[in-house]
Amino acid sequence: MAFLPAAGLVMILVGVASYYATRSLHGMSVFSGANLALGVALILIGAVAQVRAFRGFSGAASRRVALRALAILAAGFAAVIGLDLAASRSTARLDLTVDELYTLSDQSRALCAELGAQTGPPIELVFFEDALLAKDVRLLVDAYADACPQVDVRDASRKEPPAGARELYTTTATTVIACRGEVCDPIGYPSERNITSALVRLARARVPRVYFLIGHGEVDLASQADGGYSGLAALLRDQGFDVRAQVLPATAKLPSKVDVLIAAAPERDLLPEELALLDRYLEGGGRLLALSDPGLRSNFYSDLLLRWGFELSDGVVVDDAASPLLEQPSPLNLLVHLFAPYNPVTRTLSRRTMVLMPGTRPVELARKPQPDDRLERVAFASERAFIARDVAMALAGRGLDRPPELPESEPPVAATGSYPRGELVPGTESRLLEARIVVIGDRDFASNRLLDALYNRDLLLNAVRWLASDEARIALTDKAWTPNQDPLTLQQTVAYFYFLAFALPEALLLLGIYAWWRKQA
Amino acid sequence: MIRRVLALARKELRQLFASPIAYVVGTAYVALTGIYFFQHLVSYNQLLFVYQSEGLTGGGFDQGTVPSQINVLNEVFVPAADDFGLFLLVVLPLVTMRVFAEERANGTDELLLTSGLRPWEVALAKHGVTYLFVLGLLAASAIYPAVVVSRAGLGFEHLFALYVGQLCYGCAIASIGLACSSFTSSQIVAAVLGYSIPFVLLDFAWLTNTVSEEVAANLKEIALLSHYGSFPRGVIELAEVVYFAGIAFLGWLASLTSLELARAR
Amino acid sequence: MSARIEAQSVSKRFGSVVALDAFSLDVAPGEIFGLIGPNGAGKTTFIRILTGYWLATEGDVRVDGVSVTRDRFAVQARTGYACEQPKLYADHTVDQFLRFMGQVRGLAGARLRQAIELSVERMGLAPVRRRRIGVLSKGFRQRVALAQALLHDPALLVVDEPTVGLDPAQQIELRRIIAGFRGTHTVLLCTHQLHEAEAICDRVALLDRGRLAALATADEIKQGGSLEALFLARVGRAPEAAVVP
Repeated sequence: MAFLPAAGLVMILVGVASYYATRSLHGMSVFSGANLALGVALILIGAVAQVRAFRGFSGAASRRVALRALAILAAGFAAVIGLDLAASRSTARLDLTVDELYTLSDQSRALCAELGAQTGPPIELVFFEDALLAKDVRLLVDAYADACPQVDVRDASRKEPPAGARELYTTTATTVIACRGEVCDPIGYPSERNITSALVRLARARVPRVYFLIGHGEVDLASQADGGYSGLAALLRDQGFDVRAQVLPATAKLPSKVDVLIAAAPERDLLPEELALLDRYLEGGGRLLALSDPGLRSNFYSDLLLRWGFELSDGVVVDDAASPLLEQPSPLNLLVHLFAPYNPVTRTLSRRTMVLMPGTRPVELARKPQPDDRLERVAFASERAFIARDVAMALAGRGLDRPPELPESEPPVAATGSYPRGELVPGTESRLLEARIVVIGDRDFASNRLLDALYNRDLLLNAVRWLASDEARIALTDKAWTPNQDPLTLQQTVAYFYFLAFALPEALLLLGIYAWWRKQA
Repeated sequence: MIRRVLALARKELRQLFASPIAYVVGTAYVALTGIYFFQHLVSYNQLLFVYQSEGLTGGGFDQGTVPSQINVLNEVFVPAADDFGLFLLVVLPLVTMRVFAEERANGTDELLLTSGLRPWEVALAKHGVTYLFVLGLLAASAIYPAVVVSRAGLGFEHLFALYVGQLCYGCAIASIGLACSSFTSSQIVAAVLGYSIPFVLLDFAWLTNTVSEEVAANLKEIALLSHYGSFPRGVIELAEVVYFAGIAFLGWLASLTSLELARAR
Repeated sequence: MSARIEAQSVSKRFGSVVALDAFSLDVAPGEIFGLIGPNGAGKTTFIRILTGYWLATEGDVRVDGVSVTRDRFAVQARTGYACEQPKLYADHTVDQFLRFMGQVRGLAGARLRQAIELSVERMGLAPVRRRRIGVLSKGFRQRVALAQALLHDPALLVVDEPTVGLDPAQQIELRRIIAGFRGTHTVLLCTHQLHEAEAICDRVALLDRGRLAALATADEIKQGGSLEALFLARVGRAPEAAVVP
């Protein structure tokens, strides 16, 4: 082999290696660049010299054999490139991640099917190839492109983002932006949940409205304190809801198109007009999410909710099987893990997907307003739990021992009701309207502090979605890795390390020495 | 035909394991991967510990929640696979450099090619045995991670995907090294070529800033690393397997071409 | 079982260097034919073309009528080739090597075992058959090379410089072995030692700078006194070599 190309190769090798070694400091250095350029030049010079020195093949048979071999090589290249191109169109893949991280959940698929039935422009997922998480997200985005006929993936570069996405594209962390026509929607951390949420927002014909009742000591929607609901408001907006605070007008009706009204634990009484207004709203097929907390006394609970079939008696649920997770372990911090399995609000929750509720009021059922109404208790404390009737004492940490004579029970902490109203649909038994109410005996589980703890978020979103008649999207949860702690002890870890990561190479090396010794002998 | 290839393969294996280089390479690779995997595992555990202890002493459960970015995929599998790939790039040319070049330097290729063996059989046996060696190397290096991962419940199938990727990547690098070895009788030249070509093909990052975006995108399509990334993330994609198999096939075809060209000299 | 070799004006050029120039030859079945000439006269080039390792620039070689350019594998199946400075696998024992070459030649099972036993016995390799080739003496290595060439019982045996570097006793022994093939095999013996050709060949061709300089039978050699004298008489000078790259 001629010297020049060999020297050129070495220079390229050094150039590339020095580039990789220092690229984080400053892209291409003069040293790397010079080596690369000189290396390429040397190889070219060497190649030209080789070509000029080529004296042709010796004879017709040689020429035939050589040309045939080169033609086969060229055909091989062409075939491989063709096969690669064909294969790159295929989306066949095997997802071996623990939680099938890159395989779309049924909910996302259902949404895609729904999108397929819609008319209108397709949704584009604008994908920034040079973003930080590009490789991880590419797999996920491809899964959408594969499963959703209405979703296209568009590769964009950081230098020239597409028109609609330009304003949204801000940092290197931006990996995907969803666009439909001119409307674009940013996607935060590009997980399946966030991408599907963005698709939901873009696909909605009209934006459902969620109103928060205010003026009676409810939890503050704008508060960013631990107990505030700013996180909840942001979550609902992210899920495509229009979120507003609402003072009940004294006489008029509620604004039209209130899809869900949330009463976040009113502490004071409502005016009689307000109660009447809410009754009218529900009778007209309204949807209400009522949160409460131990010790709250308002006619909202004792009057309105009782009338609609929920009895929120005084008391606080005490449970031995409570959470050790908060900074002060207390039997008041419930780990709710018993759920009604067929109710849409709790269908996705189970013993393994618990909800953390600190200080919870029991939610029991009273008389149904009408025979056709359906009331159901949906979440329970454990069988070892009981209800301490003296709230003040219990909250102060006294009287939390279970009285021995009490029979075992599972105090309910949440319930749902559905109420067919309005006129009969001609020819059927069903009614035109249906009011729905969800009552949960705790307000803190949805606070900024705990919204992301365990599966609190799921309970809340399930409730809002069911109330907004959006059952299809219930239980679209993030597929995130369960953060697995390596359960091996330090001693075990080190022992494995010694016996498998050191003893094995040692054995190989000894074998090598034996081979060398045999060769010498 | 098959019998001849198998006989050749046995001979190649005997030669491979008669020289200390196979053992030295095996030792280096298994030791390096073991140590690096251990390091990633330990730092992942420390990271988890930091997040969780913050939850115990600091502001409560919510702050103690480990962010979803901190997971065994991002903290162990992906960085470990990057290291493993680099180690393969470093050790494999040491094995491939002798396979054809030594035969040519000793003149034993004349013995093979005048005894009725077809050139494709020679190339196939040599490539096959080298891939088998890569497989053995990976199997030996996988014992430690596999035992730890399955004991700790961190996703055995995921680790399997990572090693399928390693196998594809390793076979591609090996086939390039073998092709280089088949064109020369000098093992040194074979090694230099066997290092240079995969290094240049790695990801073209050194070139993409100086060429147009379109060219850069096309370069990325043929770069080795851009096809390697989905395996450590636990996904085996048909397109990526086809890509690496294509490189291995081309390496074999190049070796075959070199044998034919030598006859036509 | 023996083969006929017909070479028709075979040429081989490497650029401007002519290694073999319109070389023609006809070797009868069962003959021991000597190809002599100085180092680089084109002997090995011819053998490499005959065994299908290289392609001829012009002309063709036929073995039993089969063209080596057209179907080299058919020619190789009839040919056993022990090349110069035996190129063997030093890591293998004699047995391992013979088994490998036998399998490559398509032998298996009892036939393979028989062929190995026969070759080992013929070449007197029994004392060393479990030793690695790398540690054998040159004489034994030559015998191993011959043994592998005989495994598949070829009609044509091509032997290139078999006695180079051997002590006199080994040379005599090896010549005896090769002479033993007379009548049963066609042998093409390449050598640059005139007395060796003189001792065992039925006919001898002298290659000089890639060309056939002279052709003589054993009787003609005897009449001329010695091979050297005969060639000096026919060529008029000592033969010269071409330089093969």
